[in-house]
Amino acid sequence: MTKVKICGLQEEVHVRAASAADAAGFVFAPSRRRVTVEQAAHLADELPGSVEKIGVFVNAELDEVLAAVREVPLTMVQLHGDETDEFIRSIPVKVIQAFSVRDIEDVKKLEKSIADYVLVDAPGIDFRGGSGRTFDWSLLEKSSIDPARLIVAGGLDSANVGQAIGSLAPYMVDVSSGVETKGKKDADKIKSFIKTVKGDSMQQATGTENVTGFFGRFGGQFVPETLMKAVKELEAAYAEAKEDADFQADYHKYLKEYVGREQPLTYAARLTEAWGGPKVYLKREDLNHTGAHKINNAIGQALLAIRMGKRKIVAETGAGQHGVATATICALLDLECVIFMGEEDIRRQQLNVFRMKLLGAKVESVTKGSATLKDAVNEALRYWVTNVEDTHYLIGSALGPHPFPTMVRDFQSVIGRETREQILDKEGRLPDVILACVGGGSNAIGMFHPFVGDESVRLIGVEAAGEGVDTARHAATLTKGTEGVLHGAYMKLLQDENGQVQEAHSISAGLDYPGVGPEHVHLEDIGRVEYKAVTDEEALASVIKLSRLEGIIPALESAHAVAEAEKAAAAMGPEEILIICVSGRGDKDMATYAEKLEGLA
Amino acid sequence: MKRLKDLKDNGDKAFVAYIMAGDGGLDKLRGQVEYLQTTGVTAIEIGIPFSDPVADGPVIEEAGNRALAEGVTLDKVLLEMESWDFNLKIPLIVMTYLNPVIRYGAERFAESCKEAGVSAVIIPDLPFEHQQLVEPYLKKTGITLIQLVTLTTTENRLEDILAAAEGFVYAVTVTGITGVRDEMTQEVQEFMKTVRSKSPVPVYAGFGISKTEHIEMLRDDVDGFIVGSAIVKAFHDNKIEDIEPLIHAVTQRNPV
Ligand SMILES: Cc1ncc(COP(=O)(O)O)c(C=O)c1O
Repeated sequence: MTKVKICGLQEEVHVRAASAADAAGFVFAPSRRRVTVEQAAHLADELPGSVEKIGVFVNAELDEVLAAVREVPLTMVQLHGDETDEFIRSIPVKVIQAFSVRDIEDVKKLEKSIADYVLVDAPGIDFRGGSGRTFDWSLLEKSSIDPARLIVAGGLDSANVGQAIGSLAPYMVDVSSGVETKGKKDADKIKSFIKTVKGDSMQQATGTENVTGFFGRFGGQFVPETLMKAVKELEAAYAEAKEDADFQADYHKYLKEYVGREQPLTYAARLTEAWGGPKVYLKREDLNHTGAHKINNAIGQALLAIRMGKRKIVAETGAGQHGVATATICALLDLECVIFMGEEDIRRQQLNVFRMKLLGAKVESVTKGSATLKDAVNEALRYWVTNVEDTHYLIGSALGPHPFPTMVRDFQSVIGRETREQILDKEGRLPDVILACVGGGSNAIGMFHPFVGDESVRLIGVEAAGEGVDTARHAATLTKGTEGVLHGAYMKLLQDENGQVQEAHSISAGLDYPGVGPEHVHLEDIGRVEYKAVTDEEALASVIKLSRLEGIIPALESAHAVAEAEKAAAAMGPEEILIICVSGRGDKDMATYAEKLEGLA
Repeated sequence: MKRLKDLKDNGDKAFVAYIMAGDGGLDKLRGQVEYLQTTGVTAIEIGIPFSDPVADGPVIEEAGNRALAEGVTLDKVLLEMESWDFNLKIPLIVMTYLNPVIRYGAERFAESCKEAGVSAVIIPDLPFEHQQLVEPYLKKTGITLIQLVTLTTTENRLEDILAAAEGFVYAVTVTGITGVRDEMTQEVQEFMKTVRSKSPVPVYAGFGISKTEHIEMLRDDVDGFIVGSAIVKAFHDNKIEDIEPLIHAVTQRNPV
């Protein structure tokens, strides 16, 4: 398959968009796309090891090239000047020699190149070689150059690249101005160019176009063989239950009679006034029995477990909300219940730990790693591997191997379905903006899912920026993460350049996770949902605001959505409508509030 | 990997030793491999540390954490192996979780494994249905992707997996994670018999094998044993000689 190089990268967002390409080019020659070695080194850090890092030079000193190779580090060097063969031989990595092709004489010259690859371009105006114009491809068709050494550049874009590949079958295509808007790189154009050339490569690789369990190229079932049987059984059982009217009726009965649904969509008059923008509505998941949206999912899965003949439940919990919801439903339905919870979270969420114990669950403290949600999931998975024959893993967010992300989304979609009906009822039209916080992503996907097809509705997911996305202490996976596999799914992760998963940090235990559900990654990838990040401090400020203006003390997680809503509202007019998903109430966070907000006047 | 088949054809049993690369420092790895080679093991599995090793029990997880604390990475392990100039007579197998491979690039991983002299790769969280992500690249460089089967593998699936198996089949002896264990059940014996009767390649039992009693119990129903936690622990405790009787119980007491 033809490889893709995105050239002239200068900003992190564009580098991340280019991470699905095969090569990234950094221009060190005088050009408006020029970067320093330090900048290139910083940008290269954002790229997976599988992406070639290519430095572009025009008649530079050898020392300068060698220093860049060492310090970025570069895996290839691309030369656009009059460099000699001796110069090329002195470079310790693979070399691409570029040629401007006007006529057959130029083609003869490039045929003599000793470089590993030759790059052909139209004559240059920007810096030597990079004109952004196409050249006459037919000149090359008669050439003896091996297509496996050929890189084609010059005025390529999503519209013409197919033709270039069709007529020349090159090793790689190189694009720069073709993925720019008004002279600046454009992340959407970069992604769409890569897709045009490579198709959905992950889907091709896994042959899953027709198989469920993937959202675009994200998702799948990446679990040890011991779990495959259970995962497949669950997949089949859920597919059946989903279509079974009795099962659905049972589930909805519990939602109504036990959880207390439907929950109101409250018009927030004082918040609306204070922000001076759109009409603000709050979806009140805080009013659910046990205090958060988590119970919508816990009930659905517990009923499914019973249907499958399993009466033992294992679950992980971060904030303890999912643990409490699971313990509650296990008490109600007489199921055995083991909850794994990180030691750090146990400390932060003591009230919830006590609630789980009171409800009869066994709470296992996890001291490994960061002793938070990620490590609790690891232990729950190990427990499940060992007890898989009689135990259901009741995962708490839209994470994990298929069918979990789909199933959890479906059980949480009651949030979005109610909201849709309620807003149509109250306002006679769909909202303009909806916000929800994103940990693993279950309340957000449940809220968003029924609106995904409504193009006019802007959907915003809000992650935890912790102490700031430019510090090492945050949990902003969609904003800062890279693609990888954890806990059964191909998704986005906070990880280092060697594929070791990093610890996430957020004041909010429920958002403190270094991955994010595969469907969110897909929705971001196709540009349907925007994801923003809110710091600990901003979230705390919003806790006060919502408490004082509306008499609703939100969970720390939900406060992230409120904080971002305030920013979105600033750009909206009074005729517009904004909805915030208040995923939970703040009781569980009272110790944190007391500590952080001490001295509150 | 042909050696493994010859061994089976001769009625000999294989012993595959697992070590965690970089537990105690990456400079230890070479000596550990050289030592194990002198003890007569059939092959060596070199584990790459990972932050979230969900298929592993505490012994291997802690060894992995020690290696990570030493700064050990997939890249460094492969470079170290590539630098070896001693006479290596037995196959080396890399065992890694999927994420480091994806981050490294599957194609590049296959090429680097080849340069490092790796014969086979085991990826415990890459199930049969997603092997297209990595397997084609390994195939191109002549490296075998080892298939795993477990007590919970359903019959149809077992057939599919065995049909694709090359080198040897890793038959997991417990429904659970790696780790030192006391008991092996009757069920395991039956399972090994089934797998062996259907497998086109040798069948090695692994996970939890740590005592000569385990070996005696399963010896007639498998072609070899994979021992991990017991070896990792012995290296860590500086008592690796203690493991020799276990190795010899497999490799030297061949039926006449
Ligand atoms: C109140 C509340 N909101 C949100 C979350 C985040 O989870 P998710 O992203 O799955 O909705 C949690 C997790 O514990 C929570 O307790």
